[in-house]
Amino acid sequence: MDAEDRQLVEAFRRGEESAFSALVIKYRDAVYRVARRMLGSHEDAADVTQEVFIRAHRALARFDGRSRLYTWLYRITVNLCLDWRTRLRRLPPADLLPDPASVPVSADPELEAAETARAVARAVSALPPRQRAMVVLRLYQDLPYQDIARIMGCSEGTVKATMFAALRRLRRVLVAEGVRAP
Amino acid sequence: MSLACREAMDLLVEAVTGTVPPSARASLAAHLAGCAACRREAAALEETATLVRAAGRFAVPPGFWSAFADRLQARLALERLPVAARWTRWLARPRHAVAAAALIAALGLAAATAVRLGPAGGPPADPAGALDAQLRGLVTEAMSVTLPSLAETIDTWRAGLHAGTDAEGDSR
Repeated sequence: MDAEDRQLVEAFRRGEESAFSALVIKYRDAVYRVARRMLGSHEDAADVTQEVFIRAHRALARFDGRSRLYTWLYRITVNLCLDWRTRLRRLPPADLLPDPASVPVSADPELEAAETARAVARAVSALPPRQRAMVVLRLYQDLPYQDIARIMGCSEGTVKATMFAALRRLRRVLVAEGVRAP
Repeated sequence: MSLACREAMDLLVEAVTGTVPPSARASLAAHLAGCAACRREAAALEETATLVRAAGRFAVPPGFWSAFADRLQARLALERLPVAARWTRWLARPRHAVAAAALIAALGLAAATAVRLGPAGGPPADPAGALDAQLRGLVTEAMSVTLPSLAETIDTWRAGLHAGTDAEGDSR
């Protein structure tokens, strides 16, 4: 756990609620982005993000500090997202597309890039949940394999093998859709 | 796939996702130089990882974090309330109050029925004796000391019940 996080956790244990607010501000964006990429919709990601911090607030006083705080938060996030997806069973494809506001509609190259982004989003959303979680944590959040293994509760070797399988699967889907790298 | 190729694939995953240690980079490069299949695989994985990374951008709606902070504070304030206060707030909602009233009524009715009919498993051999035992079970010694008239009331009640069960027995 880094020094800043340790100080904030200790302050929270002393009863300083502002320390928890500082942790929320520090990690809310990362938690939201993982949830958004795993669940596909802003609304679900917002609900999960709130639930992550509610659970963190309940458990933070008992956090033993053996792992990094962000690893702990990511683990709560991934587990909630996996449960959430099980409850949703099937996500409507429209929810998995990038924000309409972030998809340009003017020039042709931009249109093409937007279409590629949609195809990639569809392919990532079709991955099995644990593969998807690992792709999100590695390719979007840039977490080291060691941390991903802790979050997912498996060995580093399993994470690498799963990533390899996920990338090959993504490749097959994208080739089938005619998507090429820019 | 040879052992060298398997090892290379492990390193390759790390390489295309950006974490291969510098010490392993040289051995991976040496393997790729001599293995066309792994070179093709490496190119395909690298292109896929690049596509996935490039496509993951999205924007958070304006004002979202401010509203998020308000909602979170409201939830945390609720979490900090004592249990009794949380129940009071929960019951303050008409829907919950009606549900709680219905549940209490159902439980009351079930308890009253259980007391009136006695334990399940068929009628006791001696109904009057069973009722006596039930009533005695309800009155503790402390209750008798605190309320001396209670014993007398119970005796009167018991006499009435005996008369009722005797009358039922006589009418058969």
